Order: sequence, then structure tokens, then C-alpha cells
Amino acid sequence: MADKQLGVTAAASAFQKEWFARLRQRVFERREPYALVQADVPFELFDLLDVPAVSNQWWAAVIAAKQQAPGLLDAMAADGLHDGLCRYCSLGYASMRYRDAASVPWGGLPPPRLLCARLTCDCIHRVFSMWADACGAEFVEIDHAGACELQPEWWTLGRRRWRELVEPHRLAFTVAALEALVARLEAISGRRLDQSALRDRLERVNQQEEIFDEVRGLIAGAPQCPVRMTEQISNVMATQWVRGSDWALSHARAFRDEVKQRVDAGIAACPGERLRLMWVGAGLWHDTDFYTAFEATHGAVFVWSMYLAFGPDGYIRYGLDDPMAALASRTASFNEYLHNPPWAPDWIAHQAIQHRIDAALVLRPRSMKPSATGRLFIERALERAGVPVLPIEGDVVDARAWNPEAARAAVRSFLDERVSA
Amino acid sequence: MSTAIHTLTAAFNDAFAQLGQSAEHDRRVLVTSWPSLPVEIIRASGLRLVVATASKTATPAADAHLEPGLFPSRVRQLVDAALTGRLVHVAQVVVPRTSDSDYKCFLYLREFVRGSLAAAMAPTVLFDLLQSDGPHVGRHNAERTRALLHTVADASGHHPSDDELRDEIRVTNTARAAARRLAALRIGAPLVSGTELFPLLGAFWHVPPREYASLANQAAEDLANRPPLPGPRVLFAGAPVDGTDLHSAIESRGAVVVDEISAWSSPGTDDDVRCGEDPIAALADACRCRTVGARLPASAMRDRVERALDHVDAVVVSLPDDDATFGWDYPALRERLTARGLPHAVLRGEAHPFPFADGERLERLVDAASRYRAHHG
Repeated sequence: MADKQLGVTAAASAFQKEWFARLRQRVFERREPYALVQADVPFELFDLLDVPAVSNQWWAAVIAAKQQAPGLLDAMAADGLHDGLCRYCSLGYASMRYRDAASVPWGGLPPPRLLCARLTCDCIHRVFSMWADACGAEFVEIDHAGACELQPEWWTLGRRRWRELVEPHRLAFTVAALEALVARLEAISGRRLDQSALRDRLERVNQQEEIFDEVRGLIAGAPQCPVRMTEQISNVMATQWVRGSDWALSHARAFRDEVKQRVDAGIAACPGERLRLMWVGAGLWHDTDFYTAFEATHGAVFVWSMYLAFGPDGYIRYGLDDPMAALASRTASFNEYLHNPPWAPDWIAHQAIQHRIDAALVLRPRSMKPSATGRLFIERALERAGVPVLPIEGDVVDARAWNPEAARAAVRSFLDERVSA
Repeated sequence: MSTAIHTLTAAFNDAFAQLGQSAEHDRRVLVTSWPSLPVEIIRASGLRLVVATASKTATPAADAHLEPGLFPSRVRQLVDAALTGRLVHVAQVVVPRTSDSDYKCFLYLREFVRGSLAAAMAPTVLFDLLQSDGPHVGRHNAERTRALLHTVADASGHHPSDDELRDEIRVTNTARAAARRLAALRIGAPLVSGTELFPLLGAFWHVPPREYASLANQAAEDLANRPPLPGPRVLFAGAPVDGTDLHSAIESRGAVVVDEISAWSSPGTDDDVRCGEDPIAALADACRCRTVGARLPASAMRDRVERALDHVDAVVVSLPDDDATFGWDYPALRERLTARGLPHAVLRGEAHPFPFADGERLERLVDAASRYRAHHG
């Protein structure tokens, strides 16, 4: 694994491990409730009602990074779950359902009081219902009303004109769904949601994402990329899971300050940077060394992934008179913007230009069907913007069919033949 | 084959393939990707419904944009028709929210227009009917169904009154009754094969209700005097089938398909739509509860399968390559089948053209089903 270049990265990792240990302590020793949730649900509501929330995708990434996914995936297959089913969203379920199939990190997930997910992909209802049954927990679903009016430049509307971005009926539906979630959380925690506290929290989330916007600008504008993509992700995501909290704001500032110091000092993540790369898709959590594998040979640095860029563009909501509506406007389409036309191709091409990207690697995930759609539109938009594209076949948590050497060789050939030339 | 059977079979098989041949015909047609729209609204507005169907026909135009392995054949056929101009004259394209593939189909179709990738295309909208059972879903669905009514009525030029809608619901219920009469021929000792019956039930969606009721009742009379088919009885579970390839494959080995969990044939098992004060809300709720598809909750699918298990000797679980949903139901289904001692087989692969060339497996299943039937009567 590549050395960490930023001091804040170690702090982010330590915080997450400690947070998880505290969670286990709260659940096992004090029998306090916690929630297992999809990454796109509004964590702010859980935090304000003092029900800690663990991100399903984060936990899957931890399992994959610790190389514990294959045993669980084999166990799923042995149970008759075919290999075309989404592994990213179900690996956490497998870690509880097939406990003996792997050595799950950090002692494993404690039993949750509830699970919560937006019903985006068709499989989500299935996976979370099975998961809830397996651990005797409640499943709170947030159904996903589809977009009927498709606004292309969502990142320019989202901050201040979010009522134009999301149709009124979808906004009303999502508000109703979030209010139903709040009612369940209030019943579990015995607390009441204070609307002014929600407004304050969303203002702090805005502050945090504004800081990330500064970081993004620093990375895009610096002559050479000051921070590796993997360290961008570590710092951003550790912060996003507890967004708007004191620690999150403090850490976001520390991250920005360290990046700025590096830019001011002319420090590059890869001192011989010659090529700037973009990663489109979720991370290859089982092989994060992939992202630094082309620095020595080609001076090729991964500069961009969605994880930092989506913070400011996806989360900031100004005009918080009705904080629940503002939160619902972010929740209503959320991950669609990252994958599907008309939203994703335009945004990603725009980001590529802004970051002076020389080439893009676009993940073609094997089992994540919803994330796999839309990628042909994205690839074409990038090529139209003058950015050569290499599709990468792989799965973000399933390393069983991943050939690291072959993948690296394919990228080297691509850089030699289409980019460096 | 009687005239009624021939007419209904042709209506099921040919309706989508015939689009693009006559502008005059197409102008009164609304096209969709799955039989999950409230058909009463479309017909009360003066349009005919045509549902895209799976086919062996190549789809090169669609394949340039739709990622492989993610979209069922019916969606590829619809997109290909749109991109090659076959839908240019239809009154309206309505894509239901039946599955993620359908929703993405809607987004793609709109993107083709925005990006000038399609020369011309009929106006395309999403029918965003949700199938979860949250307290706010019913209101959302009624509003979206009302919006659909306005869209369809604008396209047709006729805005039906509530009374016209009620009348359409009543007439469509007579068509449902006729479909149930046909489906009853499969219960117990089946008189008709699934290969023959599935198109007769599926024609419900393409044929106007009075005509359908007449033809289906005639077909039921034509079939009622046949001798019972002797083979073991099979249920299709898993991903909903939308054609008869799989029926043919297993029936050619001596079994009889007596039920399949599919929206196409669901009129044969659906109750009448109960029309209360608000016909729109009644239609919306009927669609929410009944539409067989990837967003129908697993519990509803489980109940539907459970009702069928008392009448079958084996189950085929069809999980084509594009399946992202129904495979999750399999371990629980397997447990229930094992508890009953019912034989089953899981089929994986490309759904179209029919791939499940593992004839030996199908034969083993039919043998096991025959033994089950001999043992259980």
C-alpha cells in the first residue's frame, strides 16, 4: 500500500476506527440503538436524534480493503445467490448472514436496531428486507420517486435553485418520506427533532462542503496535483459520514489547510507528474494500490474521483427556511446525478475540463447493474471533451475475478498508445 | 386453431412488430415497455395500448447505447424501434417505473432526443407509480396516475370524464373475467398448454376489452372440450417471462406450464378493479398491488408464488443474465420448495434468444415432476 503523504489522513483513519469501537461499546455494553443505512440517506437526521448510523457502502469497503470479501461472496454463491446480483450493497448483509465465512474486520457489525435505505435500485428492497429479517431489526424504506423533468446542469441549480431542480411532487413525496423516517427515529430514541437544530446542522454541512469546494479548487488549479485521489477519498468520506459535526468541520479545515500548504510549497503527490487521470465510478476497494501504480512508470496521477467533487456540488443547499425540504431536495435524486444521463455525462466532462484531465478510466462494474448503466453516455461525453477513455472491467468489492497485473498492463498500454503519444 | 384463438394469439405476438408500418394506425397507439399501465385510462382516452415484447430480432441501434447484460430484450426492442424511427408516429410513449431497466430506458430515450441521437421520436413520459406501501405512496400514485391521464388525453385529444373512466373499468373487468375463465382451464387437470394459453392471456393488453371478452370467452369454449393434458404441471417463478420460448422448451419435454408469475398473464388471476368514488385512485392502487415486476415487494411475490404451489408438480426459476432482483428471492423460495418436496430447477443465461439449451436438466426436472405427481396425485 502506498505511503500516506498527508498527516490528516492518519487522523481520519484513526477517527473512523475509534468511532466504530465506540459504537460497538454503546451497542453491546449500553444496549443503545444504531442504524445500518445506505450511503445516500440523510445521516443528519440520525445524528440529530442520537441514533448512530453506519454506512453500508463504507462497511463493504472496509471488508473488501481487508481482503475478507471473497469468503463472504463464496458463501453467498453457495447459498444460491447468483453472481449477477449486486455485491457492493449486499456484502454487509453477507457479513452478518454468513459470519463464519470470513474474519470480519474490527469485530464485525453489532446487531442494528433498524436499517434504512432509499429504494433506488430494484434490489435494495430485497437486500435490506433480508438483512432486517436476519438480524431481527426494523427496515425503514425511503421510496424513490423518479425524475420526470430532467434538468441537465444540476450542479448549477442545486445550491440556490433546488426547488427548480426537483419537481414539486417529488419534493413533497421525499419530504413525507423523511418525516416518516424522523417519526421512527423519534420513537426509537425518545427525542424530538428540533427544526432549528436541523437548520443549524445543514448550515454547518454547507460550511463543510464549501471547504471541500476550496480543496477541489486547490487541486484543480495547482500546477501539479498536491494530494493523491486515495487520500482525498479517505479524508472526505471519513468526514461525510459525520458531516456537520464538530469533528467533521474541524477535520475538513485541517485537510484544506494541509492541501493548501502543499500547494503553496509546490509539493506534488507525484513529483514527476506528467499525466492527470480521472477515475469514474466507485472505488476499487480491494485494490487501492491500483491508483498509484502508474506514477513511477508514466508520471500518471489520479487527480479526480466523484468523492471529493460531489461534496460541494451534491450537498450544498442555500435557503434553509424549510430545512426538511432542502434536505429532501438533496435526497431526491442524489446518486442518479453520478451515473445517468442527462446528469452524469455533462458533469463529469465539465469536471474533466476543470481539472485539466488527460485521460479517464471508467469503471464497468460487473454486478452493480444500476451503476453500470449510463457509462456509455459518460464515456462518449468525455471523448467529445477530448479526454481519452479506458473502460475498466471490475467489481468494487469482489476481487475474485480481478487480475491486478492484467489491469495494470491494460492501463499502461492505454497511456502509451492513446495518451502519452 | 379456432378463429378466436388465432386472433388473440396474433394480437399478442404481432402488435409491437407491426408498429411503423402505418402512420394512420400508429397515431392512435400508446407504446409502453411493460404491461403495467392502467389500461383503462389509455382506452378511455381513445388510444390503443401496445407493449414492447422480447424478440430474437437483432437490435443494433439500441446496442450502441444500452450496456450489455443490463437490459431485458423488451427494452432493447423498444429502444431500437425508437432509434430507427418506428415510433415516430405513435401518439405517446409511456415508460412505467416497473424496474430500474425501465426507468433507465426512459432516461435514455429522453437523452436521445436531447442529444439529437434519434431523428424523431414520439413524446415520451415516465409513469412513476411506486409499489412500496408507505403511507404517502397512495397519494403520490394517485397524483401520478392523474397526471398520466392528462398526458394521454392531451395526446389523444379526448379527455374522459369520471363516468367514462368508470365505464371503462367496468368493461375491462368483463375482459378480466374472460381471462380468468381462460386461466381456469389450467387449474387441476390442464386442458391447454402454457405455450398456447400465455398469448391468449397476454392479448388482454392489446385488444379492446369488449372484443377481448368476446374472443376470450369464445376461445374458452373452444378449449373446454379438449381432453386433459397428461404431463406434470409446472410453474414459472423468478424473473417474469414475456414470451413463450421457455414454455415451448419445457412442454416439448412432456410437462405442462400451468402458471407463470408475469404481468402479461396476470389478468387471468387478478380480481376486478373495485371502483370507488375516485376511479383514478382505484386504478393507481390496483397497479401498485398487482403489477408483477422488479419493484413489487418480495412479500407480494412470495404470496403470489405460494398460491400457485398447491397446483403444480415442479417449479422453474428463470433468472436471466439481466436479473438484478429476483435472484435474491431464490434461497427462501428454495427452502419452501424443499419443505414441500417440490422439484425445481434454476435457469440462468440470456433470455432471448432462448438459451437454456441444457435440455438434460429440463428433462431431469420433468422426470422429477412426473414422479412427484405420481406420488402426490
